[in-house]
Order: sequence, then structure tokens, then C-alpha cells
Amino acid sequence: MGSTNSTLSKIPNVEELVQETGFTPAHIVRLYDRFEALDKEKTGHLRPQDFGAINRLAINPIGDRIIGAFFSPGQETVDFHSFVRILAHFRPADKKRPKDPSMPEPVNSRTSKLKFAFQLYDQDKDGKISRAELLQVLRSMLEMQVTEEQLESIADRTIQEADLDTDDAISFEEFRKSLEKVNIDHKMSIRFLR
Amino acid sequence: MEPRIPSHRSSYGLESFLERGLLLLVMLIFLEGTVLTLGAASSPDISAQDNTGGGDDQRGIEGRHGHANYTKKAFPVLSLDYRHIHVPFEISLWVLLASLMKLGFHLIPRLSSIVPESCLLIVVGLLVGGLIKLAGEEVPPVLDSNLFFLCLLPPIILDAGYFLPIRPFMENIGTILMFAVVGTLWNAFFVGGLLYAVCQIEGTYLSQVELLPCLLFGSIISAVDPVAVLAVFEEIHINELLHILVFGESLLNDAVTVVLYHLFEEYSDAGEVTPMDVVLGVICFLIVSLGGIAVGTIYGILAAFTSRFTSHTRVIEPLFVFVYSYMAYLSAEMFHLSGIMALIACGAVMRPYVEANISHKSHTTVKYFLKMWSSVSETLIFIFLGVATVAGPHAWNWTFVSVTVILCLVSRVIGVVGLTFIINKFRIVKLTTKDQFIVAYGGLRGAIAFSLGYLLDKDLFPMRTMFLTAIITEIFFTVFVQGMTIKPLVDLLAVKKKQEAKRSINEEIHTQFLDHLLTGIEDICGHYGHHHWKDKLNRFNKKYIKKCLIAGERYKEPQLIAFYHKMEFKQAIELVESGGGVKLPSAMPSQVSMQNIQPKKLPPAVAERALPQFTKGREEEIRKILRSNLQKTRQRLRSYNRHTLVADPFEDGWNDFILKKQRMIELEKKVRLMSNYLTVPAAPPDSPTMCRARLASDPNAFYNIKASSDGVPTIQVDLASPQSPDSVNMLNEFSKRGATDQGLGQREGADRDEDQGLMMKPSSNPGLMRCLSDPGPSNEDEEDEPFLP
Repeated sequence: MGSTNSTLSKIPNVEELVQETGFTPAHIVRLYDRFEALDKEKTGHLRPQDFGAINRLAINPIGDRIIGAFFSPGQETVDFHSFVRILAHFRPADKKRPKDPSMPEPVNSRTSKLKFAFQLYDQDKDGKISRAELLQVLRSMLEMQVTEEQLESIADRTIQEADLDTDDAISFEEFRKSLEKVNIDHKMSIRFLR
Repeated sequence: MEPRIPSHRSSYGLESFLERGLLLLVMLIFLEGTVLTLGAASSPDISAQDNTGGGDDQRGIEGRHGHANYTKKAFPVLSLDYRHIHVPFEISLWVLLASLMKLGFHLIPRLSSIVPESCLLIVVGLLVGGLIKLAGEEVPPVLDSNLFFLCLLPPIILDAGYFLPIRPFMENIGTILMFAVVGTLWNAFFVGGLLYAVCQIEGTYLSQVELLPCLLFGSIISAVDPVAVLAVFEEIHINELLHILVFGESLLNDAVTVVLYHLFEEYSDAGEVTPMDVVLGVICFLIVSLGGIAVGTIYGILAAFTSRFTSHTRVIEPLFVFVYSYMAYLSAEMFHLSGIMALIACGAVMRPYVEANISHKSHTTVKYFLKMWSSVSETLIFIFLGVATVAGPHAWNWTFVSVTVILCLVSRVIGVVGLTFIINKFRIVKLTTKDQFIVAYGGLRGAIAFSLGYLLDKDLFPMRTMFLTAIITEIFFTVFVQGMTIKPLVDLLAVKKKQEAKRSINEEIHTQFLDHLLTGIEDICGHYGHHHWKDKLNRFNKKYIKKCLIAGERYKEPQLIAFYHKMEFKQAIELVESGGGVKLPSAMPSQVSMQNIQPKKLPPAVAERALPQFTKGREEEIRKILRSNLQKTRQRLRSYNRHTLVADPFEDGWNDFILKKQRMIELEKKVRLMSNYLTVPAAPPDSPTMCRARLASDPNAFYNIKASSDGVPTIQVDLASPQSPDSVNMLNEFSKRGATDQGLGQREGADRDEDQGLMMKPSSNPGLMRCLSDPGPSNEDEEDEPFLP
């Protein structure tokens, strides 16, 4: 416990983080250790290269999108707070939370998780997944194994299926609706982040 | 007056139908009972000549051979020699009885919804056993352990293992193992221990029952039975999580049961169990379970490897699946390892690779045979349970039996609640109280417990008959009481039911996306979680294993494409079945897409079809182009030869033809939408998804069509790939013209002409549709299960 406390004291604004993200202090310490491990040059910030050093992320088809999600638009570095805030999306949802409409939506609720995933698709942040964006995602996931025509057919089929207001793009509501049967809490939670 | 008569007639019809059904059942039971009596009476040590039995007359067998006088006898024109065939005959009779019962229950409409089939079958067994006993004959020992474990159980387990939904199983493997191992141990010791305590109480006349036999009894009765669980849970359509929990537990507890059983059986002679034996028991458990899985995996890989080379002998492909699996089971049983786990491992391991290799027809064959055998086995098991109840020597002891029943229930409830409390600390999606109740209530006992009890040695266990009676009572209690009430309880508690709709392409894509996302996040956190290992396994599989075990170039095909092709084909086949038109999804937002429609149902509002109007000239063009691209067909072989039953290139050719037709139809739809995208580009002809999604399963139907059109010249085989210049140009042409081609209009007439044009014969439309419809069982969502999650 002693080392935990000393680490905790190194992190600025811990209570604020705990409050905002719902992580316990023990988790925050663990994440801080990881943050420091990634931050090889001890600058207190992470740059895209630091993320790129993670080998397994390099072979992930959507690795660069994930890395991009950590950086707010215009910023080149990620500090620890932002790091934790993003990871807080993947905390398992608290079942017993009272539904308080005045409080902002907690960051690990189903809607927030879906919104995070949606933003990974929607790179130009216009609130919709256009056909081109969908094609890009498909291309990266399917790599070299399919022809362009097949990709286009799949993309068309996908949009056709989900697009309810016929604007040839998938909005967040349509996205959410198409995933209503999937157990997002289960799919988008990492167990140790409790 | 008028309105009354029709209603009267209809109700009369219904009654008579019901009556007929019941009458049929009763008659069948009686018939089978008497013939079986006949059979039982003519076992080898009884003279076959001296049969008394009313069955003879009913069957109309004539020419009873009279007693011979040995000096000179007339040449026997007709004789009866039952003894010669009596064993296979009796077996066939039992199987026939089982199948007829199954038929009969479904003829009586309301009965099958109130009472689960298993209960009815046990009752039938009781009746048959009673009839046999009434006739004064000895009831054959039908639930003989050899017969049960070697013949009746494997098909059911193989069916379960082959179609096991791997993804939910693996996601919940921790929970399942906890329930299976710890839960069964708890049950065994709780029941056994408390029974012993009860037996020691004065006044129950049971004081001679020792501790170890009690524990043995506890271990026999505590195992949840997969057959009973399957039989009951299949009818209540509960949500996937609960189903897989209870079912998985019933499969995996076999190892525990085997070890406990052997342990206590071995040492009940010695009378005590030392700590050393306990340690050995634990080691034995590990060996039994892991060894069983290893044996199954080895045979599974062998089967997958063999299937790689079967492209020239498609006919015997299903045989490999069955034989390898059965040998896995037998090999495991040989070493006293867990045969059930071997069978499950074998089926689960071989399935993705075998399915990628075998032809579509073999796939269907495997599926149907597994379902058929497991269904017959299950029916037979329940009937035999009934017969064995009537047959067996019983030793009823009120205390013992009632205490057993109560203790089993109590221990199950305590076990489930306690374990869930611990498990929920580790689960993301927690188990609610409702879930716990269903899991506890669904712990049914079945024939495995009975067979294990039957195996006990009479000399070592003098109270064997009492045990058997208690086991049977417990089985009856769980199957009848719990089995019958679970369905209303599920409705009452509003437990979530199974989702019926199939996966949409959106779900598939997004789920894969999320998988990648989570893997990435886990890597960033430096956490080696669930997704990390799954991803690693997938990569390893793709890189090395698939190359070895899958024939040809198919291993490169990504799962998403396979899924997508399957879906497209299903939709295209629906198009054809509905007569060539399609309900455009964009026109009606409430009916989003074809995915949500079951493949067998026609899309709604089929009558309303908005299709582009083609000029006469263009129609002619279409027909000409299509006709020139059609395949040459083989002249129908009047006497077909087993070796040339289905030749694969022909299969491919026929389906290219269907594909082109589908694409034509789809193209029209897209032309109307005025968009410029190409239709589904076809995968290479031997791609498994092309084969898989094909529904043209009945070559005979096709042959019939051809046979009726004798005057037509044979058509040309087009060995060019579907993306031949002709077809691509045609498509491009239409996309260009699509922009100028407005206008709705009924095109049904022209459409039908086109259909006929393709077939080159009148009255071909229904034939075509018949040809294409796959009379598959409904609700098969394994088809859409990804090969590897």
C-alpha cells in the first residue's frame, strides 16, 4: 500500500479523476504505471510514436484509428488524464447506478461506449458514417483478401440495411439501432478495469 | 342453421382426428407390445416352433409349419423361422416404436405443448413394459449399460458437440467449469454425506448402508444429465446464455462423475479412503478430462485432414465425420477417460475445417444424420427408462427415496446460489436471481445415472436395488415435475427467450470491429485478456492450421466475406422463390431488409413490385445473352451409378447458372434505384461459401425438368468465370442505361417470360423453385455461425 500511496501522490488531481471516471485509486495507479512504461522518454506525455512502439498494435487492422482516438483534434500529446478518460469508456457498466437525469451520462454507459466506437468510424467527425468511411474501415479490416468490388458491395449492403432515413450514410442513431441486439456492455468491457 | 353445420362439422372433424390420433397410439402400443412379447418369448432357449401369440394373426403370417414327421415331409413352401432374425428384428421394432411415438405425439396438437416429449415417452415405455409383463414374459434388460453407453449415448453427444455454439461456450467457460466441477463435487458429497447420516438414524432399517456406498450413490445421482437437459430445454427456447450454462455443465461434469464413480467403487471394498487416494483422485480427474479432450482433438484433426482429400469421393465424406468421432469416443472409453469430453472435443475441433472442405450435400447429410440419430436415440432412451422401471427388481424404502429427492433439490439450490455468488465477482455480465433459479431448476437427472447404477456389482453392493429404485424415482421426479413445470415458470418469470432473428451484416461488421478495438485497447493497457488470446489463436489458426487442413485455396477466405456471400445468396434465392420481384427496402422503412425475414417466408407484399420497364428489344437482348451463357447439361442417366452420384464440376456449373440468374434479377432492382453499383461479384467457383449457400440440392428435380424437354438441344457449358466479359459488359450496359430508364410498370409478365426463357421450357417456374428450395429444418442458426469466432 505504501508504494500505491506514493504513486498516488505523484498524480495530480486524483480525486477528480476518480470522480469522473469511476476507477478506483488502485486502478489509477496501475494505469499510471502503464503510462510511465509507455512514456519512454519520461516527458509526462505520450506521443503517437510511443503508441506505435506497442508491437501488437501495429498489426491490428484499426490500430492507427485507436491511437488517433486518444489524441484530441489538434493536440499532439496525450497526458495522463486524457489517457485515463479514454480508457474509462471500457469499464464495465455499473448495473446499480440510479438513473439521475440531471447528472451527465457516465462515461462507461452503453451510449457512451457506442459513441466512442462511432467516432472511430467517423473520422471526419460530421456525425455520420459515410460510404467512403465505411469502405475505409472494411478495407483495413479485410486487408488484401478481397477485391474492390466485393468491398463496395458489402459497403452498399451495410448502408442499405442500416440506413433508415435514406441519406446514404449511417448516423449515430442508426448505428445504435443496428447494434441493439448485441450486448455492448459485454463486448466493450475489459474485465480488469473494474 | 347454416352457420351451425359447418362449425359442427369442423369440430366433429377435429374430434375424430384427435380420437384417431389417440386410437392410433393405443393400437400401436398394443401392437408393439404383443409383437415384442412374441419376440421375447422366442429367444434362443425357447423353441421357436411353439409360439403362442395373437400377434401372428394380426400380422397375417400364414403357413405355420406344422410339426414335422421325419420320415417324409412335404417340401416346405412357406415356413416361419423367427429365431433366425429375432435380434435385428427386435431392434428394428424398438426403433420403429420410438419413431412412431414421436410422430404420434406431434399429431395430437395440444399434448406436446403441455407435456414435454420426454415425459410422454417414459409413459409409453411404462405401458410397453407393462404389456410385456402382463403377457407373462420377462422384460428384456433393455437399458443394459453396454447398449446404453456404446450405442445410445454417442449420437446424442456427437450431435451436441458438433453443433456446439463455440463462442458463447468459450465466453462462459469459467462459469461452466465451476458449475460442472465444483457444483457436482458439492452435490455428491452433500447428498452422500447427509444420506449416510440419515441412514444412521435409528428406526430406518438402513444402518447397514455404509459411508462409501452412500458417497457412491451421491456421485451417481448428482450429475446433471445432458440427454434430459437437451430434451427439455429444446422445447422452452430459453436465451442462449442460460442454455449454454446448463447444457455445458451437463456435458463437462462427465469427467467428475467418472472419477468419483471409479474412486468410490474401487474403494468401497476396502472400506476407507485415505488422503493418498484423494490426491490420486485429483490427478485422475485431470488425466481423465484433459486426456479425453486430447483424444478427441487428435481424432478431430485426423478427420479434418482426411476431409481435405475427399474432393473426388464426395459420397463417403459424411462417413468420416461419424466414424472418426465414434472412434474417439471408444478410444477414450478404452482408457477410462471421459468419452463425452472426447466426443465434444472431436466434433468442435473438426467442424470448421471439415465444413470448409466437404461439399454442400455432404454437409446436409451430416447434419441430417446427426439430428436423426440423436433424435431416435433420445426417444429410445426415454422409452427404455420406462420399460426398465417396470422390469427392474425394486426395493422401495420410503425414507431413503424421499430423503434422496429432497436432498438433491436442496443441494442443487444451495450449490447454484453459493457458486453464483462467487462467480459473479468475476463476471462482466452478472447472473441474476432469475438466471440462478433456472439454472438450479434445470438440473435434471436422466438415464446416465440409471445406467451407472445398473453397472454396480450386485455382490459388492447389496443395496443396489434400493439405489436403483431411488435413482428411478429421482429421474421421474425431475423429468416429470421439473420438466413439465419449467415451461410455465419460464413464462411466469419472464425469462428472456432466444433471439430468433439472424445476424445482420451490420452486426457482423461492427462486432468484428469491436473485437479489433478491444484487442487494441487491451494491448495499450498491457493487459493479456480474453481478446488478446482470442486474437492470437485466430492468427495462429489462419497462419498455420488452416493451411494444413483446408483443401485448395479456400483457407484464405475471410470470415466476413463468407458471411456476406451466404446472406446474398439467401436473399437471391428468396427473390427467385417469390417469383422474380423484390420488395425494395428503401421504399418501406419499416421492413428494413431481407435479413429480418426468415428464409422460408415470402417477403411481404410480393404483389407490389416496382420494376423497370424494358423494351421488347432489350428483353430479346437479355435472353440472347443469357442463353448463350448457359451450361451444357448431362443427359439424364437412366441407371445411375453410385460412383457418379454427384460430380462436383457439374454442381458448380449449375450454380453458376443460378447465380447469373440471381444477378440479373438483382440488377433490375438496382437499375430501378438508379445507382451505379455492380452486383455481387462472385467468388471463385469452388469457394466454400458458394457451395454452402447453394440451395440447389435436388438434382433429380432438375433432371425431371430436363426429361420433359426432349426436343430442346443441350445447352452449352460456359466454362468462363462468372466475371466473363459478356456478363460484365451486360451489367455495365444496364447501369449506364439505368440512368435513362425510369418508369414503373408491371413487369411480371415479362419477368415470367424471362424465367421461362432461361429455362427454355414452359411450366418450369415451379420446377425451378422446387429445385432450389432446400427442405431444411427451420431455425437453423448454426448456418450463420462464423467458422471461428
